[in-house]
Amino acid sequence: MNRTRVLLSAAALLFASSVMPAMADDIVLGGSAPMSGAQAEFGQSQIDGAQLYFDQLNEKGGIKGNKVVFRPLDDRADPRQGTLVAQQFCDDSAVIGVIGHMNSGVTMPALDIYSECGMPQVVPATNPELMRMGFKTVVRPVANDFIQGALPAKYVTEKLGLKNAVLVHDKTVFGQGIAGVFQDNFEKGGGKVSGTFGTNPEDVDFSALIASIKLENPDVVYMGAGMPQLALFLKQMREQGLKAQFIGPDIGFTVDFITQVGAASAEGALMTFQLPPYDSSPELKDFSDRHQARFGRAPGPYASLGFANAQVMAAAVEKAETLDREGVLAQLHGVTVETLLGPVAFDENGENTTAPMYLYIVKDGKFELIKQ
Amino acid sequence: MFDYFLQQLIFALAIGAIYGLIALGYTMVYGVMRLINFAHGEFFMLGPYVYTFIFSGLIGLGGLAPVLDSVIAIVASFVIVGLLGVAIERFAYRPLRAYGRLAPMLSALGMSIVLQSAVRVTVGPQPVHFPAIVPSAPIESLGGMVTTVQVGILAAAVLLMVGLTLFVNGTRLGIWIRAASESWTTSSLLGIRVNRAVSLVFFIGPGLGAMAGIMYASYYGIMQPTMGSVIGLKAFTAAILGGIGSIPGAMLGGFLLGAIEVFGTAFLPILSFGYIGTEYRDVFAFAVLILVLLFKPAGLLGETVSEETTVAKKDY
Repeated sequence: MNRTRVLLSAAALLFASSVMPAMADDIVLGGSAPMSGAQAEFGQSQIDGAQLYFDQLNEKGGIKGNKVVFRPLDDRADPRQGTLVAQQFCDDSAVIGVIGHMNSGVTMPALDIYSECGMPQVVPATNPELMRMGFKTVVRPVANDFIQGALPAKYVTEKLGLKNAVLVHDKTVFGQGIAGVFQDNFEKGGGKVSGTFGTNPEDVDFSALIASIKLENPDVVYMGAGMPQLALFLKQMREQGLKAQFIGPDIGFTVDFITQVGAASAEGALMTFQLPPYDSSPELKDFSDRHQARFGRAPGPYASLGFANAQVMAAAVEKAETLDREGVLAQLHGVTVETLLGPVAFDENGENTTAPMYLYIVKDGKFELIKQ
Repeated sequence: MFDYFLQQLIFALAIGAIYGLIALGYTMVYGVMRLINFAHGEFFMLGPYVYTFIFSGLIGLGGLAPVLDSVIAIVASFVIVGLLGVAIERFAYRPLRAYGRLAPMLSALGMSIVLQSAVRVTVGPQPVHFPAIVPSAPIESLGGMVTTVQVGILAAAVLLMVGLTLFVNGTRLGIWIRAASESWTTSSLLGIRVNRAVSLVFFIGPGLGAMAGIMYASYYGIMQPTMGSVIGLKAFTAAILGGIGSIPGAMLGGFLLGAIEVFGTAFLPILSFGYIGTEYRDVFAFAVLILVLLFKPAGLLGETVSEETTVAKKDY
């Protein structure tokens, strides 16, 4: 009996300390991304970036004298967990805006729930479809996959003069979609696609496929797939002596890509990414230093995006006449703000009108920005 | 075209050798126990992790010559994963023998989840780079291109397979295994300690699986906690294709599945004039499996087992 009571009160204490209620006039904003599992590095970096901006804002007195409380929840890159998180934010009437989710597959089912409860949402996921589903509660500051597939196609046809491409994709919505966008733009630029090859998302052996690609003798290979497949493919491609220009999407923009391929084989590979490197402007350098000071580590891959998304959300809250969901929502689409990553303004779909995209090349075992 | 064919044949042999080695574990366990060991894919996954642990441990202690370090780590992974297999059989399968076939099978499924999650929690879920044991260098011959890693894999796998065949057919311990897979009751009446034969099988099978895992990780350059799931399923398919319970059948099935996959990828688009793409590879591979089973339900080299003998064998 006694023991049960001790346990119960301990549980109650734990519970009370974990859901510390925000003060009445605090502004509560939610954030969600994978913070555990294989994609934790990416998700956590976004959350950290946003936290950094809200900390900075609070130091300067918050928004209209109200402190901002940022409440991150883990969606584990799992659509089912994502809908649970969305419901949790919706049910908490203190939450007046959400930044999330990182994965398109997680965002898609969650959109419905957020829109139902009128939740203003800033989306970091990149699937073009997300902004064309008719939801009025979302904006997206980051470039979508139309831009991501178009940039390298333009670069290889115009700058490098390469005209014969082979496409490889993993049959997922993302992989097949972005390979299709690349193809459209590549053909528009006067190129010819001599073959499209589908693989399975879990495949690790591409040797037979590469041998048949070699018959087409391409000078460009575009691959729409995830990791580690991008790395495995390029490694096996170089082992077989296929020297074509390799291009991959944002998922491959990690150090793991280069270590798994091997620096020598990765040399010259092109990769698109939505963000500029942290040493490309004084503001980003400053951001990087402050991140280091706040968290004791260099900013992760999506930290600057998290920061910029937080800026967009904060700007909408700032302009809101009433500090509730309706007030923020009324301002969300019309917001124009100069973020860490450049100016942001939204079109009728909620897409950023000037979303940038960057092209990187692997050089000496590192990603280096190609200046346009 | 001949060059192309030859090139693809090399790929088929390399991946087929790995399938075959894993399939051996499934087939040996099934032969002796009539149990499908679903945890077998995890022994395959553990191989490269144990290898890396021991190899980096040796380097950390100052190390010997790198070649010697590798050899020690390889042998140690065989032994450690093998002993783990023996322990798992002893504590997770043996107590359930009396309860039909379903209970041990579920226990095996549970074991698979336990092992995979344990590695995921302790080492992390992300794929990790695995340095090639044999430095990869291309060798050009007959118009095709082979890498030293592929040659190494093929040589090592064939060596292990020949070794196993000699062991099972020519030694006293091998006789135990064969006797136990014929009939438990008769073998124990004849004075064969059947449990020892089972332990032996659970040492060799996982050990071979670990070797296949090391080859695989060294071939593709990465390892990850989930790597055993898909390939385990494929090797299981190979074991059935060759005739589950038959040792030469598992080897044949492995090479055959490798060949079907590779040639499916390589020739489907050409033969169908581009209408059937490479993405149909798995459809093709499993259609072949079904076709084989329709004509030879016991697999290519499997013995046709009547209901009567199954009952006798099950009746431990």
